[in-house]
Amino acid sequence: MPLDPRRVRGPEESQPPELWAAAGEVPVEEDGAGEEEKDAAPRDPCDLRPLFARAGLLSQAEGSAYVELGGGTKVLCAAWGPREAAEPGAAAPAGTGRLLCEFRRAPFAGRGARWRPGSASEREAEREAAAALREALEPAVRLARYPRARLAVSALLLQDGGSALAAAISAAALALADAGVEMYDLAVGCALCRSPGPAAAWMLQPGEPEERRAVARLTVALLPALNQVSAVLGGGQGSSPDAWAQALRLGLDGCHRLYPVLRQSLLRAARRRDAAAAAAATATTAVATA
Amino acid sequence: LSICFRTVEPLEYYRRFLKENCRPDGRELGEFRATTVNIGKYLFGIIIMGGGSITTADGSALVKLGNTTVICGIKAELAAPAVDSANKGYIVPNVELPSLCSTRFRSGPPGEEAQAASQFIADMIENSQMIAKEDLCIANGKLAWVLYCDIICLDYDGNILDASAFALLAALKNVQLPSVIINEETGLSEVNLKQKNPLIIRKHPVATSFAIFDDTLLIVDPTAEEEDLATGTVTIVTDDEDRLCSVHKPGGSPLTGAKLQDCITRAITRHKEIKKLIDKVIKSIKPK
Repeated sequence: MPLDPRRVRGPEESQPPELWAAAGEVPVEEDGAGEEEKDAAPRDPCDLRPLFARAGLLSQAEGSAYVELGGGTKVLCAAWGPREAAEPGAAAPAGTGRLLCEFRRAPFAGRGARWRPGSASEREAEREAAAALREALEPAVRLARYPRARLAVSALLLQDGGSALAAAISAAALALADAGVEMYDLAVGCALCRSPGPAAAWMLQPGEPEERRAVARLTVALLPALNQVSAVLGGGQGSSPDAWAQALRLGLDGCHRLYPVLRQSLLRAARRRDAAAAAAATATTAVATA
Repeated sequence: LSICFRTVEPLEYYRRFLKENCRPDGRELGEFRATTVNIGKYLFGIIIMGGGSITTADGSALVKLGNTTVICGIKAELAAPAVDSANKGYIVPNVELPSLCSTRFRSGPPGEEAQAASQFIADMIENSQMIAKEDLCIANGKLAWVLYCDIICLDYDGNILDASAFALLAALKNVQLPSVIINEETGLSEVNLKQKNPLIIRKHPVATSFAIFDDTLLIVDPTAEEEDLATGTVTIVTDDEDRLCSVHKPGGSPLTGAKLQDCITRAITRHKEIKKLIDKVIKSIKPK
């Protein structure tokens, strides 16, 4: 690890203990991925992992959301409403606002080696993911309503259990909606991947081991109510165009199925906020009259 | 009307409360915010997550002190010990204050406050001898454990040092290190992932922070607003036998000896509360 003067110094190099584990002793994940070892019951490719979403949980951000997928992917996202644009003379078109996205990965989020914060590869990966996030979210936000303003979104990946970018897209859209930013629709993200092998099918929402072994990956972002695709990101080898088209359709179907969960969490957050505001209002009136 | 006053004249607003010996959020001067901790797989108190802890990390904990939320993840890796301390492992703390947690932080490399917090945690580990680095050494001069302690603040509402210290302690308590032996013949290390041992934690330091108002008044566990209005801060680290580990007072208004003694007494009481909380949580986790 090169000398980073801003962080506490550690050893130059270090390796995860898994490198030296005796063969055949790879730990079985407790999240039910033991099936990869047994291989007897292959996963239904259209199976969606359970998704837990909750909005409105950070006190310092105007809007926030937390999304957790069944395989262990945990993403926390915060959003801030329109602020004055940082550089007034910048290249941004004066008519619309700007959406600034940031994606950070916690160093302990990956299985195996620790991701080195501040290293060039880490910054590169984060920049790519941030660009992907912006691509997926921009069509959903009514930027024309916020001329010369900037909206900020910051996502933090706490644990990577597969489909991290898709979960981040959903969390970011939820956070923006929670912040009260005007949007056309929530962007829902869904990931797919295809394992090696000629007859392998595309799988929805892969877990981390499946994603690692995959030869082709795809992330789609959809605005379900408008039925418009906002982003398609992916690549890989070994599929015909028809197979890719079918994968796309599978992804969009997954997004449609996830949409109600996200909407429910937004409604619940709004209700909670109303209840809290009502309680605070009665408390202040009680203090005023006392 | 009170909200307008609070925005325009925050210090006066606070002074009125402090005169009555209480604070705007209803707490007394010596009262802490509701502290909750989530270790391992079990929910404890009102926590944001639907599931449990971070499974990719070797040990993790989430601590909430009122609104301030801090998560600590520990990753254990293997490295060669440094040349000048061949029998010692490494503990590398890293406190991150991402732009997520508050608008006062920008994205990019760690700012001043994050660096200061990282250094404080490093000093706390060193001074309290929480974990003896010799315990982390596997083979003299050849192999040792490195514990990367990454502490990320998710929600910044003041008193980051207390929360980070507590999260670190809680996370370290549930780290399980696989056993490593060096094969005499081949000279290679063999890791047995099935056989895990917990870390030997010798001391349990707990940090307690105070904010100094108007050079005289001390309040415990300041929120972000209180920290901004305060004229100074003091953090006391105590360990198990009611002993003082370190006092961190980065400038700010001067403090009399008597007031410092009060702080230390309060810190000792707080230590007992935290210790009880940690023990309760550890006991509630069933052994795997």
